[in-house]
Amino acid sequence: MLKYLAKRLISMIPVVIAITIIIFALVKAMPGDPARMMINPALKEEQREAAYRAMREKLGLDYPMPVQYVKWIAATLSGDLGWSSMNNRPVKEVIAEPLRNTLILNVFVTICEIAVILPVGVVMAVRRGSLIDKFWQVFSLIGYSMPSFFIGLSLIFIFALKLKLLPPGSMPIAAYGKDLAYYLSWFKYMLLPMLSLTIISIAGSIRYVRNAMIEALSQDYIRTARSKGLSEKVVIYSHAFRNALIPISTIIIMSVFALLSGSAITEQVFAWKGIGYTLVLALNNRDYMLVITLNLLSTMLAITANIVADITYGIVDPRIKLE
Amino acid sequence: MEKKTVHEPNTHPKESTGVKLGKSFGSMFKRLFVREKDPLSVLEEEALQTPTQTIIKNFIRTKLGVVGVVAFILILLFSFVGSELRPIDESYQEPALSNVRPGANYLKYPSAIVKEGVKEISSGISFSVALTNQGNVYIWGKQPIYLSGRATSIFKLPKDFPQGKIAHIAAGDRFWVAISEDGKFYGFGYNNFSQLEVPQNVKMKIQTTAVRQLLAGEGVTGILLENGEIYIWGSTLATRQDIVPAAYQGRIVHAEITPLNVVVLLDDGTIGVFGTEGNEISDIPEELTDGSVKVVDFTTSGRAAMALDSEGKLHIWGSVMHGLLNIPEFEGNVVDLFGGKNNFGLLLDNGELVYWGANHFNQLKMPKEAKHTKYVAVYSDIFQNFAVAEDGTISAWGHEGFIFGSDQFGRDNLTRLIHGGRISLTVGAIAMIISVIIALIIGLVSGYFGGWVDNVLMRFTDVVISIPFMPLAITLSTIVTGSVPEMYRIYMIMVILGFLNWPGLARLIRAHLLLEREKDFVLAARALGVKQRNIMVRHILPNIFNLVIVNVTLGYASALLMESALSFLGFGVAPPTPSWGNMLDSAQKSTVIEYYWWRWVIPGLAVVFAALSVNLIGDALRDAMDPKASEK
Repeated sequence: MLKYLAKRLISMIPVVIAITIIIFALVKAMPGDPARMMINPALKEEQREAAYRAMREKLGLDYPMPVQYVKWIAATLSGDLGWSSMNNRPVKEVIAEPLRNTLILNVFVTICEIAVILPVGVVMAVRRGSLIDKFWQVFSLIGYSMPSFFIGLSLIFIFALKLKLLPPGSMPIAAYGKDLAYYLSWFKYMLLPMLSLTIISIAGSIRYVRNAMIEALSQDYIRTARSKGLSEKVVIYSHAFRNALIPISTIIIMSVFALLSGSAITEQVFAWKGIGYTLVLALNNRDYMLVITLNLLSTMLAITANIVADITYGIVDPRIKLE
Repeated sequence: MEKKTVHEPNTHPKESTGVKLGKSFGSMFKRLFVREKDPLSVLEEEALQTPTQTIIKNFIRTKLGVVGVVAFILILLFSFVGSELRPIDESYQEPALSNVRPGANYLKYPSAIVKEGVKEISSGISFSVALTNQGNVYIWGKQPIYLSGRATSIFKLPKDFPQGKIAHIAAGDRFWVAISEDGKFYGFGYNNFSQLEVPQNVKMKIQTTAVRQLLAGEGVTGILLENGEIYIWGSTLATRQDIVPAAYQGRIVHAEITPLNVVVLLDDGTIGVFGTEGNEISDIPEELTDGSVKVVDFTTSGRAAMALDSEGKLHIWGSVMHGLLNIPEFEGNVVDLFGGKNNFGLLLDNGELVYWGANHFNQLKMPKEAKHTKYVAVYSDIFQNFAVAEDGTISAWGHEGFIFGSDQFGRDNLTRLIHGGRISLTVGAIAMIISVIIALIIGLVSGYFGGWVDNVLMRFTDVVISIPFMPLAITLSTIVTGSVPEMYRIYMIMVILGFLNWPGLARLIRAHLLLEREKDFVLAARALGVKQRNIMVRHILPNIFNLVIVNVTLGYASALLMESALSFLGFGVAPPTPSWGNMLDSAQKSTVIEYYWWRWVIPGLAVVFAALSVNLIGDALRDAMDPKASEK
């Protein structure tokens, strides 16, 4: 198991290096001169040129690209992520909150998603062609044909504006300190984006769970188990479901991956101050260091999800250890 | 023979041998030349049909797939044929018509007004009010949307409303007012500038003096009394339309309100203007003010005005926009003149109509019957025109309303939906083609060459697939669109979507290529001495072709969704070019979501329908190509 994991981690290293090069190149290709944007606009004409020179020197923009890249990597690895021009604070401080918001939202969504797709997927497979099966198939078909912002806007329209049950978006302000009431209201603000993302994730993954379960149910060992006279419950849950877990874990990991990409839009719709929302803000304000860090961050999250997937395979499928 | 009759109880016992013989010949003939209709078994199917035929048959058998194809063809017709039939002027905006509710009944007047005879028709931006000769009021059209509490329904008349005793009506932009024969004032619709509340001093006046004319403009109401006095109130803080010069008061015969001014005809046949100064309308030609000509009638449009003097000559002044000042040539004498918001019209003594100006809402497109009808009265207001003929019938033309409502700039949602569909469907298709080409090249090269080439390409695929799509796409969009002109931006979006979408398909192609390569038919081909390249192109490629088709179809649906998401975030197709995504761009405010629902529901549903129909096709194709999958 450990050996397998180590092998996977080592094979990730070139991928990570390539990704950092791509992201670095992307941000360097962005229009505008970061040094010019960071000098004080109140300076006089003759002072400005000198300040610009000094700023270029400070940001290391005069070095050749490979040197800049190595310097940037070294700084990033040592924990120095640069300066956010938009917030006028170190990037490290700026990204803490969006990272936390995105992670909490996505963890809740994943929990809700698993809580729905496992039981419903099994029922769909066992009672194929039943009303429940048909309902969820239609739900899934419509759900993954829907743009995520449309689901978000519809939820705002119904729950926030018409029924007035939940806030339409944004996040609470900790005016009186972070007491219990603050956390409760924080959760209330999270409900709609969570619901929106959960619907999208369920629609995208439930029929794969169903298919995996049907595949498992059609295997020979299920017939053997039935002919042994085992109860249907045991056949379904300890024989079929256990074996379906391997493809199902892939499906869940894929959906977490999709979540990381897709939550940018939902965050924007609900003004949920996560990584995606902050990235849009940073792009519109040409905050280079923040853009570079947020891209890196979302990629690292995705790669982590991949590695977690590998560990999960090892747990659910003992055969993998042998490889 | 006897045995046979036992087995075939239906055969007539008295049948002659000849008939029997003929019958068996007949059945032989049938068996030889008429095709059997029985469904084929699996083996027969494979023997008699090409795989393509099987796929098409299976596809037609899945009803949802056919529904998807029909729906998608309808969407294509809607966008591509529709955009030819309904051209768009991307830069045209009409702020007066912003956020108008869906509805196309602005010209559908109630038949009762024909019966009772029209005394007056006045139109607001989305409704019209008619006063009949019997003193009744009729309202039709759509309620202008109101967000503040200071507004009422334009349709709901109070119980004490004196139907049958109404003397004058006038419609402003989003409200209308009426005055009864006994001098009581009524107002409906927007009241955001207190335009529906008569000031106290005016209330006294209208109790004692008869009213000659009611006036209504953009948030402004006015009353002209028989003694020549005029009173204006409402949204006058910036325009100062309420300050009537002392030289005019008491001498006014006729008045009209424009957005910035009030134009009046004085008792000596000269024209006066008050309100804001230094605009197109306040700049009156000298001959109209110095008494050298005697004006008998005048009219105003939004930014120009026109007067008729006693010798039948027309004087026109104001903005040159929309060709307002270019009076077309006509024969006959002018009886009456009228102005809509962006156009002018004349009624001649032979009953003909002459119209010119803007034609964005078909204001110039008179109905067919206009050619041989003699009109006696015409009412043109904003964009709606109603002409009453000698026999009392009414011809209506101009702005019918927006079936799908209008957006914040007063643009027609339907037109933008049609053209947006053309853009969105095209961007999605080209993005998909780009990504399929890349995926085919990388997948085939990787699977064909193997070794280090395969290793490098697959690691590269890993890299692209590891970066979450949305953050990368919006970053790329910012970079690329910052350095190319606006008009190329749309091509850049296609390229970005194409370049980010290929890895999944490339992996799939490679995996199936490796699978197919080990099969017996490849071995057989190799044993026959077929060249490696031909094995690839002629034998293996056709086998993964189905896979590519299904994934292209499903990928097209997701490309549509991605384009709409990018444009929604403001990183896709740039306005004013419409796309289904950027039509929703402005819908992120809660007022828009709650009150102007048509601005996000309609383009959103368009994306849903397009993606749904493509997904249905894709699913049905997959089931048709892999019958085992459909048995699940």
